[in-house]
Amino acid sequence: MLGSERGVVEEWLSEFKSLPETHLSSYAGSLHLKKSLVPALYRVIQDPGNELLEPVCHQLFELYRSSEDRLRRFTMQFLPELVWVYLRVTASRDRQSNGCIEALLLGIYNLEIVDKDGNSKLLSFTIPSLSKPSIYHEPSSLGSMALTEGALCQHDLIRVVYSGLHPQRETFTAQNRFEVLCFLMLCYNSAVVYMPLSSYQSVCRMSSRLCVCGFPRQQQKLWREPCNRVLLDPEFMVQMLTAVYHAIYNGEWEMGREALEDILYRAQLELYSQPLLLGNAMKNSLPDSAPNEPQGRKVLQVEVTPTISRISISAITTASIRRHRWKREDADGMSAGEDSFNANDPDEGFSSGASNSSQPSGTRAGGGGPRAGSLSSGGSSIKKAIAARLSRDKERDRPEVAKQVDAAAEVKRQHQRKQSPPASIRLDAIQLSPIKKHLSFPSGPPLVRTGSTSSSKSFDCMAFSLNGGTREQEGGGGGSTEAGGRPAGGSHRHSTVSLQEGHMIRPDDPLLSPGAPLSKQSRSPSFNMQIISQV
Amino acid sequence: MTAKKSGSRLETEIERCRSEGQWDKIPELVRQLSAKLISNGLCLEKVPAASPTEREQEIITCYEKSGDIALLYLQEAEKVCVSGIQNRSPKPGPTSQDQELGYFLETGLQRAHVIHFKNGNLTQGVGRFREILRAVETRTTQNLRMTIARQLAEILLRGMCEQSYWSPVEDPPTVSPLDDPTRQGHVQSKKYSLSRRPRLFKTIYCQCCNENTEEALLLLLISESMANRDAVLSRIPEHNNDRIISLQSASVVYDLLTIALGRRGQYEMLSECLERAMKFAFEEFHLWYQLALSLMAAGKSARAVKVLKECIRLKPDDPTIPLLAVKLCIGPLHWLDEGECFAKMVIDMGEKAAEFRAKGHLAIGLVYSLKATDASLRSTQEEYQRKALGAFQRAQSLSPTDHLAAFYLALQLAVSRQIPEALGYVRQALQLQGDDVHSLHLLALLLSAQKHYQDGLNIIEMALSEYPENFNLLYTKVKLESMCRGSEEALLTCKHMLQIWKSFYNLTNPSDSGRGSSLLDRAVADRRQLNAMTLPDFSDPDTGSVHATSIAASRVEQALSEVASSLQSSAPKHGPLHPWLTLAQIWLHAAEVYIGMSKPAEASACTQEAANLFPTSHNVLFMRGQIAELRGNIDEAKRWYEEALSINPTHVKTMQRLGLILHQLQRYSLSEKVLRDAVQVNSTAHDVWNSLGEVLQAQGNAAAATECFLTALELEASSPILPFTIIPRAL
Repeated sequence: MLGSERGVVEEWLSEFKSLPETHLSSYAGSLHLKKSLVPALYRVIQDPGNELLEPVCHQLFELYRSSEDRLRRFTMQFLPELVWVYLRVTASRDRQSNGCIEALLLGIYNLEIVDKDGNSKLLSFTIPSLSKPSIYHEPSSLGSMALTEGALCQHDLIRVVYSGLHPQRETFTAQNRFEVLCFLMLCYNSAVVYMPLSSYQSVCRMSSRLCVCGFPRQQQKLWREPCNRVLLDPEFMVQMLTAVYHAIYNGEWEMGREALEDILYRAQLELYSQPLLLGNAMKNSLPDSAPNEPQGRKVLQVEVTPTISRISISAITTASIRRHRWKREDADGMSAGEDSFNANDPDEGFSSGASNSSQPSGTRAGGGGPRAGSLSSGGSSIKKAIAARLSRDKERDRPEVAKQVDAAAEVKRQHQRKQSPPASIRLDAIQLSPIKKHLSFPSGPPLVRTGSTSSSKSFDCMAFSLNGGTREQEGGGGGSTEAGGRPAGGSHRHSTVSLQEGHMIRPDDPLLSPGAPLSKQSRSPSFNMQIISQV
Repeated sequence: MTAKKSGSRLETEIERCRSEGQWDKIPELVRQLSAKLISNGLCLEKVPAASPTEREQEIITCYEKSGDIALLYLQEAEKVCVSGIQNRSPKPGPTSQDQELGYFLETGLQRAHVIHFKNGNLTQGVGRFREILRAVETRTTQNLRMTIARQLAEILLRGMCEQSYWSPVEDPPTVSPLDDPTRQGHVQSKKYSLSRRPRLFKTIYCQCCNENTEEALLLLLISESMANRDAVLSRIPEHNNDRIISLQSASVVYDLLTIALGRRGQYEMLSECLERAMKFAFEEFHLWYQLALSLMAAGKSARAVKVLKECIRLKPDDPTIPLLAVKLCIGPLHWLDEGECFAKMVIDMGEKAAEFRAKGHLAIGLVYSLKATDASLRSTQEEYQRKALGAFQRAQSLSPTDHLAAFYLALQLAVSRQIPEALGYVRQALQLQGDDVHSLHLLALLLSAQKHYQDGLNIIEMALSEYPENFNLLYTKVKLESMCRGSEEALLTCKHMLQIWKSFYNLTNPSDSGRGSSLLDRAVADRRQLNAMTLPDFSDPDTGSVHATSIAASRVEQALSEVASSLQSSAPKHGPLHPWLTLAQIWLHAAEVYIGMSKPAEASACTQEAANLFPTSHNVLFMRGQIAELRGNIDEAKRWYEEALSINPTHVKTMQRLGLILHQLQRYSLSEKVLRDAVQVNSTAHDVWNSLGEVLQAQGNAAAATECFLTALELEASSPILPFTIIPRAL
């Protein structure tokens, strides 16, 4: 240790002792101006034999005990270094030299576990729930996605205590060591923004070294001081990761990434799931390259990102399946005219304002197209009955199941329509046509016959059944897609229906080109089956 | 200036269209207006200015204003369109045209906060983010919202901490460490005025955020539900790109969710979230692996192993994955055959597994070691022990600096009664890891096997100074104390244990720091435990009167409600041991000490306490038998022992006592049969050999008896005070 550094530390020690209570605030404000003090203090802490260590620890504790936040944070910045020195000495034979660092750590811990009134602190947080409105959303605007079983289970906001009711500790034992250290790191992380860069470097250094010392990887490091392996606790590693994560994005890109790698290395060797989980997520979400300005805290970057719907409209997504359903419902709602009923249940739309409105631009509406209003002329009374029935069905069934049934009904109806003279088919008409509300499945025949034939409908129905088929394929291959829960017999039902009817003529090939790219999908087994049965 | 003028002209035009109801024109006009403002801003950014502060102010105003205008009119347009549909107006509305936001609107909405961040003005950047997000969404802005929500969550997780957080409904702090101090406080937002502002979500009666993780979590959950909606489900090649895009945007959100929830220890909820990501996960290793890890962290071991199997399929070269699976199989699941398979995978990787090779051998050694303990046939037992020993030796030679390898080697040697060798390795383990509790415990047991009881006790006391609340150590201490310091000391230790138990399970917080899980889960778990607890009472024939049962049940319930909250949190700290099991064990140890002091009344009282908790435990029944024996009721003792054996037919201690009683009753052949069975189960129990010798002697089979006595003598010389297998074996 250089003489000048020693002088700086000694001056700092004596200055604070003679400081009157009233000047505390101005002292706190001027502390960061002493540029050489912090490096000098790091030197003292790193050297266990230094005779200044004890007064320094004592004074750091005095600062921490003061009511001034800035003074507390001044002490806090040394926490990573203190923890490192403490753990390294603990892992070695020589335990005695640790006394004052232990005392300082325990002192901070005992101060932090209680609030101002001396009660045990309870750190809790609320798990937000999407099923309750918040300043950023309304439950209805997220659609039924948000109303999953899990969301409903947690309908009541749950307040979780994540740390609290720690007992006062007078000594470190192997048993309470990481309980205390975890809590200290939690405190550090809750004030991490206020820490200077030197502290970030220290936390990265600490994490790297704790994780590799005594392991083969230490040989690849510049720092090769022989050292026993330090036992680590998974929770403590999670706290280290949190601090390192902050350092990565706030000016210590290189060191932070190295520390992240080392923590992951150790977590793998120890087979700790929690730090592995977090570390993997952090690593996977790192930006590809170092940010432009490595100096200072500019690493948090936000770019203007094009968000224009990049997913092509023809792709089958959860939303497109849902859209498809709206389309049918909306169309029906419009065609029903005077005796319209609002088929949209409120929880289905993604956007509360939009759910009743139009379809997304999957089909660009240019003209009216053949409105499928024929039902209203033939059997408005029947229609009402069906409407009631449908709405009941809807309440009961899961959407997918309902869809499946509907699709089957469509197929059936389609066949029957085909028996009447086929209308001439124009491509644009097909694209535009709204689809008739599906009718209930087995009881249908008399009703269905009232519907006038529209080949476009039948096409649309085909497209749908194809979607269904593809989704089935998905479900088989990828495990649990959303469609996983629906009865597997759905597509079979299609084909059985088709077989029974058996009069379907195969749609002309040009019909297949618009909408979803059918040619590829036609490989799906259920589709093939259907074609065969149709032929 | 011209740009500005035409901007205001546009504004008037929009107003006119609004009043005249020409909705279809508005989007176009809005686009023009925003474009004007934005190009204005872009130009201003390019032109060097005399006073950069003022210029910046102007630029930001341009962007923020255009953003607000865009939001407002999008909202209005959509409102009209909705009412148009509802009124069945013939016009379909302009919505199909504004499906896409367009470059200018998007820039307007994003550029302002980007500039804030570029200038190091985090506080205002976050403020602007929140303003946009709080505006009621429209269909058009959904994609934008998803991006912005994710970006704000990133900022909250990466650039903020609990102490620097301010809630979105509060005013931001005037001085914030988030801002670049050199450029602070010059840009005042919101100098411009608009006649109307975008509608915001209602803030009354809604959830609000109190800390950064909470807000980030809310934003991420919103993003997640949107990302999920865009999951591309079809797998045809044409949609590859779409699928990659949707996967990327979702996986970013899931990674951030992991970081946010992991920080707070909410692994249970995290595993549920990641399960929703499975629709993206076909052949995607990262998502599968994260799901497996979250299930593991949430304690859903069986499912975790299943998911890990899929991970192994996707990435067969990674030794960590099968090792994680072995860890679960050995630990909570006790699926030894599966564990063996996984461990063999690691060993088969050979050199490729690098540092994990030693772990692989260690894992398979543990599997064999546990199988040996479970095996009921002596030959299989010895076979497994031999295999385990070989595996541990291999692990130790591969990784000589791993204390676990040395420790398990020592333990295995100890189990096969090679005491001096075991001592050597346990010393080595302690050299590598001085305060490993299991190594210390093993050392004490080894010393007791060499009959150095005092040394063993010293070691235990040293270990207890580091682990004052470790019950395993305390049990051994009780045994050693009654051996070399007298029963009074041992009783004091029992009392101390009861105190620790009480303080330990009373003090632990309702939801432990790391593994805090939701209150609901805890309530469910508690109820389940309560059911499991009270169930034996009803089926128990021994407790006699209904009165006693109900008292026992109510006692349990009362105790449960007292410590209910701590149950979940404390269980993992002590491995699989249930707190109630611990309590029962303490009582049984106390009872044993009293039996050693020949005080049947006290012993009986202690046993009763344990019986209240676990009336059908074979240990309790065994203890009752011993008490009856002490009182001289041989028949009663025999009945108890038989009952204990009917519950646990391989309880060697009971078999030995029963054999002795049968011997006393002069039913030699039956006694011999029972004792021979006991030897089959555990060939190292010296007192069983001894009893067998006595029985054989009584039957006149002197040669066999001598053999037995010699074996007993030999075994006794190496027998520890408690079996070595009380030390838990886990990876």
